[in-house]
Amino acid sequence: MTTAAARPPSALRIAARRYLPATLIFLGGIALWELIVIVFDIQGFLLPKPSRIASTFVEEFSVVVPAGWFTMKEAVGGFVIGAVAGVLIALTTARWTVVKDGLMPFAIAVNATPIIALAPIMNNWFGITNPMAKMAIVAVIVFFPVMINMVRGLTEIDTRQLELMRSYASTPRELLLKVRVPNALPYLFSALKVGTSLSVIAAIVSEYFGGSRDALGIYISQQAALFHFAEAWAAILVASFSGIIFYLIVTLIERAVMPWHSSIRNVAGT
Amino acid sequence: MSTAVAIEGVAKIFNEGSSDQVDALQGIDLHIEPGEFLSLIGPSGCGKSTLLRLIGDLLEPSGGKVTVADKPAHQARLDREYGMVFQQATLYEWRSVAKNVQLPLEVMGRSKTEREDRADAMLDLVGLSEFKSHYPWQLSGGMQQRVAIARALSFEPSILLMDEPFGALDEMTRERMQAEVLDIWSQTGTTIVFVTHSIPEAVFISTRVVVMSPRPGRIADVIDIDLPQPRDEDTRESDRFYEKLTEVREALRGVEGQ
Ligand SMILES: Nc1ncnc2c1ncn2[C@@H]1O[C@H](COP(=O)(O)OP(=O)(O)OP(=O)(O)O)[C@@H](O)[C@H]1O
Ligand SMILES: [Mg+2]
Repeated sequence: MTTAAARPPSALRIAARRYLPATLIFLGGIALWELIVIVFDIQGFLLPKPSRIASTFVEEFSVVVPAGWFTMKEAVGGFVIGAVAGVLIALTTARWTVVKDGLMPFAIAVNATPIIALAPIMNNWFGITNPMAKMAIVAVIVFFPVMINMVRGLTEIDTRQLELMRSYASTPRELLLKVRVPNALPYLFSALKVGTSLSVIAAIVSEYFGGSRDALGIYISQQAALFHFAEAWAAILVASFSGIIFYLIVTLIERAVMPWHSSIRNVAGT
Repeated sequence: MSTAVAIEGVAKIFNEGSSDQVDALQGIDLHIEPGEFLSLIGPSGCGKSTLLRLIGDLLEPSGGKVTVADKPAHQARLDREYGMVFQQATLYEWRSVAKNVQLPLEVMGRSKTEREDRADAMLDLVGLSEFKSHYPWQLSGGMQQRVAIARALSFEPSILLMDEPFGALDEMTRERMQAEVLDIWSQTGTTIVFVTHSIPEAVFISTRVVVMSPRPGRIADVIDIDLPQPRDEDTRESDRFYEKLTEVREALRGVEGQ
């Protein structure tokens, strides 16, 4: 018997049910913001109305979007350098445990310090308008969590999984490729996902210390200094969008690389 | 192969010389014939898992000699003479069921076709052919344990070491799995060393039960289980079965009461 109730819901309806609450909250939040600014008559330089930010965004499109592109190139470039270096160093620690014992305490200590404070120094090293100065900061900030998590993933393995490989008389190389690395992937991706927002923050904040005029951080700080807050907010909007897209891209890669993992199977199962 | 496993005067001391020293095993002598189904039973902490790991060269003895398939245990491991099954299935969650079963064969450098054929045959043996492309999390505990058994048998080891393989399963699944393992044992002629906490399980499944006593772990008693083969549901209801059950229970009561 096929009744309407027994029919599986359409893909559209499933998507609607999943995304509806978030969409409603988002729209409600924007409406509330608009309302509060109007009702309490908040000055535009303190908090502009969302409608004002939107119209400024359209007016300034040809400036803020290229600036966002410029800054994202620094963020993504630094992210890739930091992540690749973090993974490579982690892999050498898996091979030589002395490296791990020598390096990890420092890595954990450095990771807990505000690396962004180095931004002015990097500006001096590389030249203030050189995007490498920003990329270097981003790379250092992404490097430490990636390396630390990767080392954990390579070493925190169920004893029995190691014993099984030993019972197959596997070589260290096979153990690395077939057990340690796959075991490390969830650790790696959780660091990479945190790294996406860290890298956008690091790129923008290091631009606050000076740099090329085409960059988002410079644009935001200059417009804010001129009390052009709608312009600053429009640029912040670009930064948020870029950050979210960056995060989503990494999430998509994660799903492609480890479709077996629990963080993904729960989504796929609903 | 004249003896599957020969253990002579074996002792195992953990953390020797330090304040948390544990005398896990002492003066263990045990010979296991090819084709035997031998169970180790005894109170928790008496060294059953340790003994299994010594046979598998996953630990080194503090004294004595372990010979497996007529070779030193170390060489036997390098020659992949045994397969191991733990209480937890210990499947690699990033590998499908078929890929888990193929893992030992991959490590041994067998060809792709051979790996796939062996995995198919093994999954058929444990009745999981339909699930070969599933991931471990999509299977029940009992099914996962079957995969672990298929994986341990995939490279046709002469010896199977099983550490409480059914300890995490419910009673019904457990009895079905016992029958399956007995089936595999009689079909393949594999020597099986089996750790269990269940007296009925030990009696039903084994040809010999070794009763161990704790602190330090020793062999307290060895009981031949001369129940007729093949064993089935009638075995569980026979008078001989009850006699053997009582015999093992009394031997165990002796060591627990120490
Ligand atoms: N790696 C280790 N380091 C130190 N002590 C250990 C280690 N492995 C086991 N032991 C100790 O050796 C003794 C025997 O442990 P083992 O795991 O072999 O017991 P078991 O008979 O398998 O117990 P159970 O029935 O609970 O599984 C215990 O006292 C345990 O604490
Ligand atoms: Mg044990």
